[in-house]
Amino acid sequence: MASIPTPQETQQSGTFTIHYFASAAQYTTKDSERLPAPLPLARLFALLESRYPGIQEKVLCSCGVSVEGEYVDVGDDADARREIHVGEEVAVIPPVSSG
Amino acid sequence: MTTQEAAPLPAHLDPTTYPRTQHNAEQNIHLTLTYTPLDPTISLSQTASPAAGANVLFLGTTRDTFDGRAVSQLSYTAYPPLAFKTLAGIAEAAVATHQLLGVSIAHRLGTVPIGEASITIAVSAGHRAAAWRAGEEVLEACKAKAEIWKREEFVDGGMEWRANADRDSEGNLVKKEGS
Repeated sequence: MASIPTPQETQQSGTFTIHYFASAAQYTTKDSERLPAPLPLARLFALLESRYPGIQEKVLCSCGVSVEGEYVDVGDDADARREIHVGEEVAVIPPVSSG
Repeated sequence: MTTQEAAPLPAHLDPTTYPRTQHNAEQNIHLTLTYTPLDPTISLSQTASPAAGANVLFLGTTRDTFDGRAVSQLSYTAYPPLAFKTLAGIAEAAVATHQLLGVSIAHRLGTVPIGEASITIAVSAGHRAAAWRAGEEVLEACKAKAEIWKREEFVDGGMEWRANADRDSEGNLVKKEGS
């Protein structure tokens, strides 16, 4: 069984980690993957759409996004100019349902 | 080639990395995410105080139907980096608003058999009015904001991820604008 990559290994491979939950995990059929970094945040949804056609309209339009444990607004000019760096952790956050 | 392999099971989905807890001693806030059964006695003991005249405990338990459709089992996943921040913010706001003496929020993850507790909330205050109100506020805020997701598997074979925003506190469908 493969071990979880250390931050150093992630660094070397030139990728960031993205986690999917609930409807996003269902659509991508995975919980997590690594994608090439650096990537401008403004291009994240377009990249996901190219990998998972239809995901933007069916899933992402109702999802939040976090980078390194902080919410970012992909539609906001200031946030969208941000780059996702090598080794960073991104999460796609669908509408929640605890309780 | 650039084909990306699926990463191994991330730590936040690995039950062996739980229970995870966060404790704020100054405000007596206890937060727990766990894959094992919840114990309401622990929740109550965490918020107990000689200064408290009111202790409210809420247990959310898994129901065997959704809209009349028989549910066989439910499971929950969480993203702890965000969930703990959100739960801490909810608890701190409740302490400030209602002068609470303690708040405990615990959520179970993984498969939760029908009828068992998926969430426990305990709050304590000097008097009952504040404790009743705070208990409800904390629960509603958790359901609206905590980064935790519920999947229902149905006896007839289907499965669906739930979104709390679709239902109000009486279980009625919330009408959305334009639909």
